[in-house]
Amino acid sequence: MSRIISLDDLRQIAADFIRAGGLAVAPVPFDNDRVFFQYIDEEGAGKIVLSGWLKAANTIKDFFFPRHEKLFSYERIHNDVVLADAPEFGKPQLLFGCRPCEAASLPILDKVFGWDYQDRFYQSRRRMTTVVTVACHKSDDDCFCSSVGGSPENTEGSDAILYNLADGTFEVRPVTERGEQLFEGKTSESTKTGKACPPPPVRFDASKCKTWMDGHFDSPFWNEHALRCVGCGACTYLCPTCHCFDIVDEGSYAKGNRVKNWDFCQSALFTLHASGHNPRPDQGARQRQRLMHKFSIYPDKFGKILCTGCGNCTRHCPTVLGVKPFLEAIEEQED
Amino acid sequence: MEKTNTDQTFEPKIIAFVCNWCTYLGADLAGTNRLEYPANIRIIRLPCTGRIDFNLVIKAFEVGADAVLVSGCHPGDCHYNAGNYHARRRWILFRELLEVLGIETERIHFSWISAAEGAKFQKFVTEIVDKTRALGPYRGYQSITHESEER
Amino acid sequence: MEYQEYQLRETAAKLLEEEKANVVIGYGLSKTGKVVPVFITRPEDAQKLVWNSECHQNLVVFLTRPEVKRLGKPAIVVKPCDARAIVVLANESQIMRHEVYVIGMVCEGVNEDQGRPSSRCAICYGHYPQNVDQVIGEAEDAPKDLSKEERRKTGKYQRIEEIKALPPDERLAYWKREFSRCVRCYACRQSCPLCYCNRCVADKNRPARIPTSASLQGNFAWNILRAFHLAGRCVSCGACSAACPAGIDLNLINLTLANAAEEQFDHLSGTKVGALPLIGTFSESDKEDFIR
Repeated sequence: MSRIISLDDLRQIAADFIRAGGLAVAPVPFDNDRVFFQYIDEEGAGKIVLSGWLKAANTIKDFFFPRHEKLFSYERIHNDVVLADAPEFGKPQLLFGCRPCEAASLPILDKVFGWDYQDRFYQSRRRMTTVVTVACHKSDDDCFCSSVGGSPENTEGSDAILYNLADGTFEVRPVTERGEQLFEGKTSESTKTGKACPPPPVRFDASKCKTWMDGHFDSPFWNEHALRCVGCGACTYLCPTCHCFDIVDEGSYAKGNRVKNWDFCQSALFTLHASGHNPRPDQGARQRQRLMHKFSIYPDKFGKILCTGCGNCTRHCPTVLGVKPFLEAIEEQED
Repeated sequence: MEKTNTDQTFEPKIIAFVCNWCTYLGADLAGTNRLEYPANIRIIRLPCTGRIDFNLVIKAFEVGADAVLVSGCHPGDCHYNAGNYHARRRWILFRELLEVLGIETERIHFSWISAAEGAKFQKFVTEIVDKTRALGPYRGYQSITHESEER
Repeated sequence: MEYQEYQLRETAAKLLEEEKANVVIGYGLSKTGKVVPVFITRPEDAQKLVWNSECHQNLVVFLTRPEVKRLGKPAIVVKPCDARAIVVLANESQIMRHEVYVIGMVCEGVNEDQGRPSSRCAICYGHYPQNVDQVIGEAEDAPKDLSKEERRKTGKYQRIEEIKALPPDERLAYWKREFSRCVRCYACRQSCPLCYCNRCVADKNRPARIPTSASLQGNFAWNILRAFHLAGRCVSCGACSAACPAGIDLNLINLTLANAAEEQFDHLSGTKVGALPLIGTFSESDKEDFIR
């Protein structure tokens, strides 16, 4: 026996959640063929779409580690500077309809933001959020979750996973206590069970690639293959696991904010020293950094790959680069 | 957006970017001649209208200006020969950009005011203050700033 | 098109053999069959070049990259719209025109993203490449070019007219909705052949000219800045729109300015070798009906 719920009832759960004072994030259509994860209101809950698309045009990371977040504000009053901490994120949040590869990024980010320094901004959002995932019904050429230990029905980071039964209903499989509570009393019994699509073919051997990378830091390979990289931040900003940020003060002499903004390693400025020296002088070095961080540096420290195989980096790249083409090329290297 | 101002206490904030050689001296002349003009205007003196970067205008709106005035020497009178001609061409295109973005071009004023035109300065400033007061606070651009704060 | 591809490969191999070029910047295929930029340095690799309706990227952006410059004297495959960017780069002294061998393809229009016609083709200025060193393809195969008046009737221009017809607050609301999705990845800037500055003003922090935050305020400032720094320079190649991961039609703003430059100053960027920059020059007879 399985537990099923209709799309309308799922939308109702989101609407109820908002009515109870919470925030809901869900994929809603934008400009015909794209969906975006957005904060929705009660009315917007009716527009949630959970099928017909493979990937949204933004990432769920924006709702845990926003692209722009205030840390504190300052104000000069007479001769004093008064500081005020940004309020803690205090509302329960419901994240609806992400893919398993996106939810799987959360345990990875947990380690970064809770390893040495405890990042209360990330942690409070994470603590307050219930994550409901939809198992994949198809994969495309850019998907490679199976190459980094994931699958189309991976439940890492999810509180519950939904399977599309393609008749307007979804099978619900709660993963955690919190997921169980969200759906308690909302589902009905059925004999139908959902099935995810088969995993995409394994594209490369991640540990073999790591060994190659570790031994070829100065290889001309990097620059040869990074030639078509234009140096933008699309791969990192659309990556659910990339987490670099920059801290800047914004405002005037009289008052302003200290803010935390996303930053990307593909920019030459990312590592430019005040002296003018740049330890990563070319695009090859920058791409190498991104890949080694994901497949060598982070795994050495935390024992996990910093990549969930979602393929967003390739999908959104103006020149179709990203993790997968690079690692496939590494695998073809002979020595 | 409401065009009539019901708030009786509204005093517009107007930022004026003026050149050092003509309009700034025109304003100075208005002062020495004891010509009165509204205190709503905040003058920022720059070397030349050619120096007035379009970012400054955007910045003015970001910090809450209700209108902006850009003013310099008459054509042919530029201290640097051609700064005002360069500025003029730039503003022709910049206004097109603002137009399509929906930033109200009626809140950006341009003028040529020479060092001898203290009276023109007084008259023009009074006019745009009255006009802006009638338009009300510029909630359009201010809403961008406020929504940024909320996120 | 197939014959064009054959000719292109022959040309590239010959250029490399005769050492007229050390690298041919062209289109090739990724492992998944997508068209991507390739950098051919050996004559035998010229077979990897492709020419088809998916060749939408503007490769001119690579001419100014230090990593590509290191490969030596370049030859580059361009579409007619891309060729205009080369003219601007040469006019602005960013490249020595005689040091680049430009292979112009007669273009019947390209697609981006699974067969969707590229936004650049909606504003096509010509299918036959101008100011190139060699043309591949026959002029009679090219579709008829649109006149200025016909162009004004195409979808992109109509879209601008539609937006302009809205009241200001609705126009602003439209752009707010668009710019709220901007994450400031700068894919627009990095993909633009004419955004070649070593250090972009958006990256300057002492003082910071515009907010670096991807807040609505920062996004407005950035997008206004980007558009205006391309005023009178943008060649409407549409690379920015194609690159934007959030699907913002950035080209619309640039096109507004290109349109104004054409209307007001009869200036069509990248069509005249040796043309002076539009902003940076002036005429005593420029209109001033908006100045009091």
